[in-house]
Amino acid sequence: MTEPLLRIDGLHAGYEGQIVLRDISLDVPEGALITLLGPNGHGKTTLLRCISGLMKPSKGRIEFAGKRIDGLEADKLVARGIVMIPQGDMLFPEMSVYDNLKMGAYLPVARAKFDENVERIYTLLPRLKERTTQLARTLSGGERRMLAIGRGLLSGGRILMFDEPSLGLAPIVIDQIYEVINDLKAQGRTILLVEENADRIIELADRIHLLDTGQIVWAGDGHELDSQQQILETYLGG
Amino acid sequence: MNYFIQIIVSGLTFGAMYALAAVGLALVWGAFNMLNMSHGIIMTLGAYFALLWAEYMGMPLVLAAPFALVCGAVVGVIAYFISAHWMLKQKNFEVTIIIATFGLGMALEAGLLKFLRELFRTAPYSQPLSLGAKSFMVADVPVSYQRLVVWAGAIVLIVLVGLFLSRTTAGRAVRAVAQNRDAARLVGVPVRRIYVMVLALGSGLAAVSGIMLSSFKDVHPLMGGDPMLKAFIVIVLAGLGNITGALYAALLVGMVEAAVKVLIADKYGFAAILILVILALIWKPAGIFGRSTVARQ
Amino acid sequence: MKRRDYIIFALLLGIAIAYPWLHPPRYLIASALLMFCYATVVSQWNLVFGMAGIFSLAQVAIFALGAYITAMLGRYLDWSLWYTFPLAGLGGVFFSLLIGVACLRLRGIYVALLTLAVSQVMFVLIQTDSMCSSLNKVLNPATCVSLTGGAQGLGSFGSFGWRSVLGGRDWIIGDYYTMLALLVVGLVVAFVISHSRIGLAFKALRDNEELARSRGISQFKYQLLVFALSAFLTAVAGGFYAAHFGAVGTDMISFPLLLFIISMLVVGGIGRLWGPLLGAFLLMAADEVFKEVSDWRNVGLGVVVLLFMVFLPEGLAGAIEKGWQRIERLFGRRETLGQAARSDDKASSESGD
Repeated sequence: MTEPLLRIDGLHAGYEGQIVLRDISLDVPEGALITLLGPNGHGKTTLLRCISGLMKPSKGRIEFAGKRIDGLEADKLVARGIVMIPQGDMLFPEMSVYDNLKMGAYLPVARAKFDENVERIYTLLPRLKERTTQLARTLSGGERRMLAIGRGLLSGGRILMFDEPSLGLAPIVIDQIYEVINDLKAQGRTILLVEENADRIIELADRIHLLDTGQIVWAGDGHELDSQQQILETYLGG
Repeated sequence: MNYFIQIIVSGLTFGAMYALAAVGLALVWGAFNMLNMSHGIIMTLGAYFALLWAEYMGMPLVLAAPFALVCGAVVGVIAYFISAHWMLKQKNFEVTIIIATFGLGMALEAGLLKFLRELFRTAPYSQPLSLGAKSFMVADVPVSYQRLVVWAGAIVLIVLVGLFLSRTTAGRAVRAVAQNRDAARLVGVPVRRIYVMVLALGSGLAAVSGIMLSSFKDVHPLMGGDPMLKAFIVIVLAGLGNITGALYAALLVGMVEAAVKVLIADKYGFAAILILVILALIWKPAGIFGRSTVARQ
Repeated sequence: MKRRDYIIFALLLGIAIAYPWLHPPRYLIASALLMFCYATVVSQWNLVFGMAGIFSLAQVAIFALGAYITAMLGRYLDWSLWYTFPLAGLGGVFFSLLIGVACLRLRGIYVALLTLAVSQVMFVLIQTDSMCSSLNKVLNPATCVSLTGGAQGLGSFGSFGWRSVLGGRDWIIGDYYTMLALLVVGLVVAFVISHSRIGLAFKALRDNEELARSRGISQFKYQLLVFALSAFLTAVAGGFYAAHFGAVGTDMISFPLLLFIISMLVVGGIGRLWGPLLGAFLLMAADEVFKEVSDWRNVGLGVVVLLFMVFLPEGLAGAIEKGWQRIERLFGRRETLGQAARSDDKASSESGD
């Protein structure tokens, strides 16, 4: 078996003495869609912040493409190909949609291919094309999420990490967003996805991890999860 | 009518100088919440750099301002690496950096005084970049050519800064950092490098602003303190970090100061500005150009 | 305040009271009493900044205001200076209330900028004061100098009056004990306030602002209260300063004095019980020791402030406290280790479930 693209081993993290994540270990193989499922406030976003370098873990290691990366600054990690697609509050509110996208291609490698890539983004997310000159803060929740996705895709990473892509959105918008994720998976992109809601990912995910109060309590694929009604009820409220 | 023209002319001049100083302060605040109390001494140093270039090195006068701008930027970079760089993780960074840069500014000012006392003289020098009192008349009011140069210089620099911020990748990165630091890091912006860059830019502008000041008033080691405080007032009035607002606020402050100086007396200029800003803060705490009432607590 | 602190306080007070009886050189007495004066200002600033979190840079302006009130009442109305001190204090309170109402609702950074601007305006107005106002013409018909003395400053308005009691040589000892009394009052007030309900309110606001607010603790109200209370003694200290020197001038509002007093606060340790005293002592001592190179004084002070803010923002008192705690932990190590082991047991039994 080959090395996974991303490997997390015995990770602990927390804020000001309060432990949020305990002994998290998981692998993300190249080309796979791995998900982390769990209720809000149980450390999902914290894990993504640790991987993307916005936060330093207190213990454990993170390896990417065979090299240890925990403790590196976020901008260095983007250059290595770790791209986080945050929730809608992580945009540049006073910039136009176009400038936000352009920021996604900030690094030289991505910048060189921006013009070509941005057209692809517009076909994938046509709503953005309609709104290129609008300021990000004037967008609706769904549009912001799409902009975040578009911006992340333009960074051209080797792994995409989605932070609760469906949170707070209308079902029809969620459908659109998962369509995009489905497309990305079909293209063979490596994806780590964090969600609260199991519905959309049971079919999609290659492997699902359940997170409860900062610990992984169960791991398996979608069918196993489906058959384990009890787990679903206990952790995800059915 | 004469008074009116006089006020406009000198108000525009004050406004232009404060705008350059304030834009630098606002950029730095916007990028990483640093209020640089050594801004004033950098203005002073700018005037001395121009003097050094033109008078003591005998270099072409036209290049004195660019030389001062570059030197000011270098001082800004040094200031970053001996203060802010080590303090970014402090819990009260906003406050501790004020005290630290106040100390730095005072040390530089006292050092400059000492240096000049030993080697040259502390008495004012006249700014070689000044065109003197040569002037033309606008409806009986003499307008010196020097003012035209100051206006043109300020406009050119501000337009350049505007283009930098809106059209270049680095400028976009500066705005990105100011708007959402974590998001900027997530797209690969090396935020600390942006901090250095912004402080260099702001300090370079301060240096040029210092030359302008000295072209009316001579070069003196203590010349920067008062205009720095006025630049602070300008950015408070505009709402901290609001750069376009700072431009308008600089003009407003310049006009008010000029009006008070022309109509009442020189020394009440600053007091009038202060009253203006206090009233503005009570009436509209987010700054008079603030978009919304941002909580300032 | 722990018992340890009471003992330190009593000890220091004893030394300070006994000091003049050791017949030290006169200039050392003069330095010591100036140190008491500054320490009083710093102790009140510590209350404002360290406890209440108000980043006021107007403390030196309030100090100068007190001095000018005393000087002007003494000079123009011929009051005994002892009557002017309470008025100086009240003047300080009034001034601080004005500033406080204008800016305390705003974020700390605005407070710093506005208070600094207020100080600067006060400096400019006094420095350029050369008007023969109508009032002044009545009071000073012959000379018609400016009301505040302008750039020259103001003199000949009286003193504490110890010269007539103790004589031409020992009056300074009277001044010494007067300043010491002021400092003792200043320290006691600072201790009492920081351990009163006000201090608790600020602690509550720091620990959990939302909870504190929901219980009706208004930060603005308490900040205004502390700001005004501390302004009283700060301004009185200014009055005492004027009375001791017999002269006031704009150097009292100037940046070098602000720098000197800030460095006391910073070196001592912001928000620490013993910070102001430690800082005032060290800076005054340094001033004596480095008299030879006094040209470099402000350069040195600036660098000291910078270095402390960068590397030791909690000041010497904070560093000493931390060191002390480490020593205590070293001695109490066995117990803490035992506790850690127990909690580990608990954790492993939980994960085994």
